[in-house]
Order: sequence, then C-alpha cells, then structure tokens
Amino acid sequence: MSTRNKDELEQQFFELICYMVTSARNLIPENKLYGPFRLVDAVSRLIDVLQKLDLKSPRLEAIQKQIEEGKYMVMESDEKFTDFLENLVMSLVPLMQDKK
Amino acid sequence: MDVWEAIQGRRSIRSFKPDPIPEDLIRKLILEAGIWAPTGGNVQTWRFVVVTNPNVIHKIKMVAPGILGNPPVVIAICQDLDEAERKGSKLGRNVITLMDTALAAQNIMLVAYAQGIGTCLIASFHPGAVEEILHLPPPIVPQLLMSLGYPKVKSQAPKRNSRVVWFNEYSQ
Repeated sequence: MSTRNKDELEQQFFELICYMVTSARNLIPENKLYGPFRLVDAVSRLIDVLQKLDLKSPRLEAIQKQIEEGKYMVMESDEKFTDFLENLVMSLVPLMQDKK
Repeated sequence: MDVWEAIQGRRSIRSFKPDPIPEDLIRKLILEAGIWAPTGGNVQTWRFVVVTNPNVIHKIKMVAPGILGNPPVVIAICQDLDEAERKGSKLGRNVITLMDTALAAQNIMLVAYAQGIGTCLIASFHPGAVEEILHLPPPIVPQLLMSLGYPKVKSQAPKRNSRVVWFNEYSQ
C-alpha cells in the first residue's frame, strides 16, 4: 500500500473514531434509542472504510444496504426501529461462515 | 409559498446534493428570516456562524454525530450568553436563549424550504469541540447546528399525535 493510501485510510479511520467517541459522550443525556442508532450507523461507516481497503464482500454490502434502508426508522417509531434491528440480527445468521 | 404549506411540507433532510447554496441566499435566510423571529425581551443575542468551507464542515462532522449526509452548508446558531444575562438575567441566559435559538432556527428552516433548500436541526454535537473548531470566544456558545443543502431524497412525514389540545382546562 502506498503512503498516500495509508494516510487516506488513517484519516477515514480517524473520522470514524471521532464519530464513535463523540457519540459515546453525547449519548449519556440523549434519547435511549440513539445508542443503537449510532452503533448501526457506525457499522455502516466502518463498512465504507473496509470497502476502500478493498475488503468488499456481498455480505458486508448486504448488511450496509439493510442499515441504510432502515436506520431512520428510529425517527418514526420505537417498534419499527426495534423490528428493523431484530431483522438485521437475524439476517446475519445465514451470512455466517465456518471459520477457515 | 403559503405558510401552511411550508409548515406542513418541511422535513428534516439527511441526504443532500453536493450543489453549493449561493452565499447571498444564505445571508437572506438569516437576515430576512432568522433575525425576524421573536426574541424574549428583544435581546437579539443570537449569533450565526455560517460554515461553507468543506474542510471545516468535515471537522465539525467528526464531533457532531447528529449531522448525517454531506451538507454543503452548516450554520452554528450561537448565543452570546454574557449579553443574554446582562439583558435578561439568569432566566435569559439559561432558558430564553434556548427558545430564541429554536425560534430563529424555525424561521430559517421554513424560508429555506420555500426556496427549495433542505435543512436538519442538530443537537447531537459536542459544544466544546465546535467552539474550538469555529474559534468561538468564551461567551459565544453554539446551541444548535443546522445542516442545509438541496435535498437528494425527501423523507416521509412521521405521524403526528393530534391528541394534545385542551381548551380551558386539562383533562385525562
């Protein structure tokens, strides 16, 4: 990997770290459901960075697509958002593979 | 645009086109809408820092988990707390500034909507970090951030709870 690519990736990971650390602080007084929201949003952002590292895979793309399609349900209703998270977890099971 | 249409059509936008918003239009949103909001005791202690530099927006996003998407403009709606206290005592400093900020924000959002601009209000940010990034001197504190841009996607209106009105007295 070139130095330039390394620097760009370090920057992207740094941004993700800032997002997660600031979220950790801000979530203390915030709406309880923002915690799970920030977590799944962080997953989507992590998948973005992994893709730039050439760590693309159909299952990671599928997870990200589901997150992007459903994450804003947090603004609509607690029940819908909870169902979305439930379905997201269950959708991981068929994507699991035996350890090589 | 009719005021009812603006109130009911406005949505919080979290996905923006990269197109910039002309500076004179942003100025108009603030000077012809924001500062015309009611302000408790006519203190007018709001201060608006408009951020259009992508590098600065990038830094703000790192400490503002509530900013979603890539808005080309972020406005930090701030208050001069010392002036608010001088003019409006403790109530002014601790309570009325928050109300004034929200009222100015709503005015800006409605006029922005009428101009085809999407907005989203953000309370999820770290005030201290934003103060550092924007070089805000101590009495000036950011109370809300607003992201602005031309909407990429329009979101659906969440259901409204209409059972919130009573006349003359509250009843269960």
